[in-house]
Amino acid sequence: MDQQSVQVIVETLKEEGIDLAVTLPEEPTFSLTEAMRQDPYFQAVTVAGEGNGLAFCAGAALGGRRVVFVTGVAGLLVGSWALSQMGMVYGPPILILASYRGDFGDHSGIPGSQLLMFKQVAEPLLGALRVPYRVVSQKATLKRMIQEGSFACQDYSHPIVLLLSGEVLW
Amino acid sequence: MKRLDCLKVLAPLVDEHMLAVTSLSTNTPFWFTVRPQGPNFFALNMGLCLPFALGLSVAFPKRKIIAIDSDGSLMNDSSSLITVADVNPPNLVAFVMDNGSYAHMGPTFTTRRTDLAKMAQGAGIANTGTVGSLEEFSAAAKQAMESRGPTLIVAKVERDAGRVSADRSRTSGRPMREWFMDAVRHHPDYKGGR
Repeated sequence: MDQQSVQVIVETLKEEGIDLAVTLPEEPTFSLTEAMRQDPYFQAVTVAGEGNGLAFCAGAALGGRRVVFVTGVAGLLVGSWALSQMGMVYGPPILILASYRGDFGDHSGIPGSQLLMFKQVAEPLLGALRVPYRVVSQKATLKRMIQEGSFACQDYSHPIVLLLSGEVLW
Repeated sequence: MKRLDCLKVLAPLVDEHMLAVTSLSTNTPFWFTVRPQGPNFFALNMGLCLPFALGLSVAFPKRKIIAIDSDGSLMNDSSSLITVADVNPPNLVAFVMDNGSYAHMGPTFTTRRTDLAKMAQGAGIANTGTVGSLEEFSAAAKQAMESRGPTLIVAKVERDAGRVSADRSRTSGRPMREWFMDAVRHHPDYKGGR
């Protein structure tokens, strides 16, 4: 992720009042999570597993904190137990930014069979978990999608996923 | 040592400003029995109790957050111990009711080689310990409630005899969530929408 995307995301999260950033570092979003870690506006929390990260986000969100969870498709797979429990049962308003590993444009060097798996599984998984999501691949729409995602997760009282891809990520 | 006796000792130490979280186990109906009022979030499924309580501890940094977890649940996501240690919340107290059994289905690993308190200590949680009698539990609970820093106490309890039921409208799913949200929304330090 280049600095232009990082800057738009950080600025928009601040405008939305989101000040708790939770992540398990992964390569495509590392520049974003590092920027948030260096920015005193954010309380940046690194978690040891995506499942406990999502449960942590849920507790914080239902406690009134505005929270973003930054992960990748693999993290969504690992955290799907927590996401199903938290999303379907309790509905915490969590904005999730996930790198769309395996989408067209992923030239990151991961073996193609893994990329294809991510591409085949990510969106059906979110559909099965009844988690509303959008693919955000153009920088021109990035700010608005974060704004709308932030509003939607509060309005629905439910996790929302923005799958970052295209020129936003690669 | 019986689980219900431990929770009867714990309940008077948890005032109306403190938030409690229970795992999906006998912890839920027993805690509902001893603390039916107040902000309780009940019946979090396997592996989710401790990290959910950790999230509440960040949302309400001036309040004690009490996690009442169980051995099977904690082992389901023991990496949450590392996350707790790294966040290092001064207001989180976790009790792990370790009956050495998945419900009524036989022994867990804690009856063999696994020591959850040592795992917590190894993860970096400074205040940890294992108690085996009600007197020890009472002393450890009082100390934990008065001290700063995350604390994790493993309570070795007997298996419970039979299932215990509780009012599901208060202890399960969305209705329980609404009870909880109604309670915490009135706290002056709640930062979300009201």
